[in-house]
Amino acid sequence: MNPPGSLGVQEDKEEEHLSTPILEPSVHSDNPQERIQARRLRIAARLEARRREALGEYLDGKKETEEDQSKSYKQKEESRLKLTKLLLCGTELVTNIQVAADIRETHRRVEEEEIKRQRLEKLENEVKTSQDKFDEITVKWEEGKQKRIPQELWEILNTQQVHCAGLIEEKNKLISELQQELKTKDDQYVKDLKKQADDICLLLERMEEQVKSVMKTFRQELHHIEKAFEVERQELLTSNKKKWERALQAHNAKELEYLMNRIKKVEDYEKQLNRQRIWDCEEYNMIKIKLEQDVQILEQQLQQMKATYQLNQEKLEYNFQVLKKRDEESTVIKSQQKRKINRLHDVLNNLRSKYNKQIKQFQEENQSLTSDYKRLVMQFKEMQKAMRHFALIDDKQFREIWLMNEEEAKDLISRAFDVDRIIHTHHLGLPWTAPDFWFLKNVGPISQQQHKSATQILEEVLMQAEEEKAEEAASESESYLELPKQVSAKTTRKILMLLCDEAGFLIEGKLLSLLQPLEKNERYLLRLDAVFSALGIETEDDLYKLVHFFLKYQAHRSPPIQMSPWYLRLEQTSLVSALEPQELLGLGGGEGSLAEGEPPGKEPLCSPLLIHPNDVLKILEAFVMGLRKPRDLRAPAKLLKVARDDSKDSEYWKALSTVIPAATLSLWDVLYTALEKYHLILTQRAELLIENRSLEQQNTELQQLLQQYLDSKINTQLQVPPTQVFRVPTK
Amino acid sequence: MQETQTTPSLSIPSRSSISTPDRSSSVGQASSTGPQPSKPPAIAPPVKPKGRSSGAGVRRMRRIIAEDTEWSLAIVPLLTELCIQHIVKNFQNDPILKQLHPEHQKKVLSHLPPDLPLAVTANLIEDENYWRRCCVQRWPVCHVDEHGGSWKRMFFELHLEKLLKHFIPGTTDPEGILSLLPLCRDYVRTIRVDQFLPPVQLPPAPRSGDQSDSGSEGEMEEPAVDHYQLRDLVAGLNRLEELDLVYGVKDCGMNFEWNLFLFTYRDCHSLAAAIKACRTLKVFRLTRSKVDDDKARILIRSLRDHPALEELDLSHNLIGDRGARAAAKLLSHSRLRVLSLANNQVRAPGAQSLAHALAHNASLVSLNLRLNCIEDEGGQALAHALQTNKCLTTLHLGGNELSEPTATLLSQVLSINTTLTSINLSSNHIGLDGGKQLLEGMSDNKTLLEFDLRLSDIAQESEYLISQALCANREAARQRAPNPSHFMSPITAKGPENPAG
Repeated sequence: MNPPGSLGVQEDKEEEHLSTPILEPSVHSDNPQERIQARRLRIAARLEARRREALGEYLDGKKETEEDQSKSYKQKEESRLKLTKLLLCGTELVTNIQVAADIRETHRRVEEEEIKRQRLEKLENEVKTSQDKFDEITVKWEEGKQKRIPQELWEILNTQQVHCAGLIEEKNKLISELQQELKTKDDQYVKDLKKQADDICLLLERMEEQVKSVMKTFRQELHHIEKAFEVERQELLTSNKKKWERALQAHNAKELEYLMNRIKKVEDYEKQLNRQRIWDCEEYNMIKIKLEQDVQILEQQLQQMKATYQLNQEKLEYNFQVLKKRDEESTVIKSQQKRKINRLHDVLNNLRSKYNKQIKQFQEENQSLTSDYKRLVMQFKEMQKAMRHFALIDDKQFREIWLMNEEEAKDLISRAFDVDRIIHTHHLGLPWTAPDFWFLKNVGPISQQQHKSATQILEEVLMQAEEEKAEEAASESESYLELPKQVSAKTTRKILMLLCDEAGFLIEGKLLSLLQPLEKNERYLLRLDAVFSALGIETEDDLYKLVHFFLKYQAHRSPPIQMSPWYLRLEQTSLVSALEPQELLGLGGGEGSLAEGEPPGKEPLCSPLLIHPNDVLKILEAFVMGLRKPRDLRAPAKLLKVARDDSKDSEYWKALSTVIPAATLSLWDVLYTALEKYHLILTQRAELLIENRSLEQQNTELQQLLQQYLDSKINTQLQVPPTQVFRVPTK
Repeated sequence: MQETQTTPSLSIPSRSSISTPDRSSSVGQASSTGPQPSKPPAIAPPVKPKGRSSGAGVRRMRRIIAEDTEWSLAIVPLLTELCIQHIVKNFQNDPILKQLHPEHQKKVLSHLPPDLPLAVTANLIEDENYWRRCCVQRWPVCHVDEHGGSWKRMFFELHLEKLLKHFIPGTTDPEGILSLLPLCRDYVRTIRVDQFLPPVQLPPAPRSGDQSDSGSEGEMEEPAVDHYQLRDLVAGLNRLEELDLVYGVKDCGMNFEWNLFLFTYRDCHSLAAAIKACRTLKVFRLTRSKVDDDKARILIRSLRDHPALEELDLSHNLIGDRGARAAAKLLSHSRLRVLSLANNQVRAPGAQSLAHALAHNASLVSLNLRLNCIEDEGGQALAHALQTNKCLTTLHLGGNELSEPTATLLSQVLSINTTLTSINLSSNHIGLDGGKQLLEGMSDNKTLLEFDLRLSDIAQESEYLISQALCANREAARQRAPNPSHFMSPITAKGPENPAG
């Protein structure tokens, strides 16, 4: 805004800057005290400046500068204010005319309105009055029409005329008034026009005046400002000049001083130079001599050096030759090495190709071997199959041979027994009892009949339930004689049914769906099978244990009184069943539903009822816990049973061969000897008998011959007949 | 400092040119008499005299010094010079400019005569110097600033203006103007026409005496006195921004007839259609043209929702309350920034409707209701509106029969409003008490820069105090604005407004 002002400030600063080295202690002063002082002052000034800056004393600074600002700024402000005032006044003066015209116009309008209103009122009044008069006149016309007397008529007409004239006169008056008004208005208009023209003239005048005055004042102010600047400049110039002169004087003084110093120094230096020159000359001579000596020495040395150089050259030449040779050798070696490397590379490549080939080969081999292996495995499987097949066939053959042999043996045994019996009964006259041995009843090869699997038992049990209807009870009781605790089949069955129903969760869902189409018993069987496999029951022992466990649990739970009759009953039924198959049939087939009314049917029914289905799981849990331990030991033994146990076979066969005890045999031997003797005797007797018979025959023949001889005529003829000599035997 | 000096010096001739019709008309006459070649074409080679004047130069210029002592290289003009001369000579038939080297272009342009036909030069020459010569040759007084600082634009605008001013419907061929259209369409932005001549009537001479007495007979012939229809011209000018029209006749002298100043309905309709079609129009002025309520409504209706209009000036017309109401509606349907209804017949109802529109307006910056008769009712309504308005900066209510009640309300407004910078209440009857109240209101205001209370019956003391407060405000505004010319601007801006009275 105020470049001159700022310029002034700058100048001020410059002034300060110029004045400082004179007034204030300088940092570059020679006096140390003064230097310290100067530094302190500088620090203080800096701190002050920083403080000011921190306080944001922009305005303050401005004020300061304003204070410092020279006349020019003041003049400028002054003239600015003056000019704005002038402009405002001038525009006001000019616009005053407009405003005055405006207010005149408004007044005129108001007046005009008033006048207009009055005029209108007047006109209306006039219209009213004239209408009244006109009405009056028209009424009088009517009146006039009635008049018959000319005199009166004339009078009336006259008066009418007068009235009409009055009316017209009034109208004319009004018109003239209005025209008068119009005229005055016209005059007014002309006046106004003049006035306006005057106004415009005045306005123009004023505007021109204003322009002139404004220009004048502007010029004046410009002049003033310029003057102020000029003055300021002059002041500045003078002050600067003064400073300049002062500085020049100081400078001159210093210059003079410097000059003097210089002259002095020049003289000094000249002296020194002269001294130096002399000294240098001497030194030069000295050095020259010395150097010449040196040159001689050096020449000598040069000669020596040349000699050594010759020597060295020869040596080096020799060395060079040697090196050349070596180089050649090395090139040869290098080429050899290169060749070698090439060869080795070839070898390496060959080996690599071989290696690759081998890898391929091995892979192929591996493949062929794996295929062989597969084939072998297949073969092995087939072999196994064949083996199994052969084993089966072997089994069958074995069985058949066994059976054949057994049959043969048994035939022999039976014959032996027959013979024995005959011997006993016929020969010895002793009662013969048929010997009872287990092996006699055996049919087929000896197998693990003792270790029936649980499933088989199950099958049996279930089958028995089926068969019971038709089969005789004896077989059943016989088969259950094997049961260690004589638990009835029915109880077992019930328990198993219960188990089957309750432990259904142990069966896989898939199996259940598969079981659906099967018949009831089979279904039960399979389900139980699954349950048992889940529980780990495999042998019949386990099964019986289970059944027992159930019963025991039951006994434990229920009072023994209730238990005993059922037990008795069971025993009874099992016994009775042998005697009364019919009753049993009813019991088994109807499952108690048919024989509900009967007391014996009722009793076994309560067994499943007594074991509450909810308890079954607990029982099972306890059972499985108990079963686990013994089971673990037996597990490996099981595997061996696959191979047939033929230890007992020889025993069996031996037993079969020794079915006749030794005592009997000895008996037989004795008997044999006796019989032999007896036979001998008998044969002797027979011979004797035969002799006897022949002798008898001879006797009879001789008798006959005697008789004949006796009876013969000779005898009679004979003086003494023989007949008289002897007596004829009479038989 | 220079600025302050130049602005008045420029504004003085403009004032005089507008205020004194004599001078501007003389300009027109001077131009109509025909262009006079005032400037002799100085095509003579400039090197020639120089060569002769200095002997040393001759010495240097002469490459061949032989028997012919007169010979000099400087005597022979350069070939380029010759070519340029030829081009200048034949420019009318064969305009070659764009192909030339920029230096030669400059030379050609400086030597072209300014009276070449526009058809040749209009779209070819952009050089300002050439157009400046054209303007200076045709018009003695030229204000380039009023034409955006472009001499070319000024030339075309003034040319078109002259044609329009002297267009007589029925006799002049409208093609004369329309043929200019393709030449000037890119340059003309402002049309200022302060006279439209009516069609020539064959028997005006014998009846002129009769008609001067009563204007009633003129109305009978109204259909015949339509003026030039601007529609085609305005539609052709695609950069038109300002229309300043006065339907009237200048310098009629003793030939005055009422129907010379008739703004007919047909004119009105055609003008309305023209401004409606002109989408670039920013300023529309129609002053001193006897626009009454109906015509004002027609015009304003056509301006509704205009995309660019910023200023509407219908001062010195006959607009009443209905026209004011239409203007109020326009306020809420456009982005009008300046509205002037000075010297009309707006009364309280019109002012009330304007105030209603003003209360919710956010674009109007200046409102001029000078020399109306809105009275206290309207003044109060406007004051109420100003309590909510946050946009208006200038309000002129001079000569409106306002009195104390308005002043009390305005003093309240002054203490609340912070946008108003200029209020004019001159030529009212505010009275002593009203002045005091206004002074109270002023004491709370820090933004008002101008407050005209001349001739409004206020005590001198309060007027002085108010002026003191204004001075303080102005000083504060000057401090706020970094630009030192700011405090001058309201005064200079006021300049063109004043001489209208």
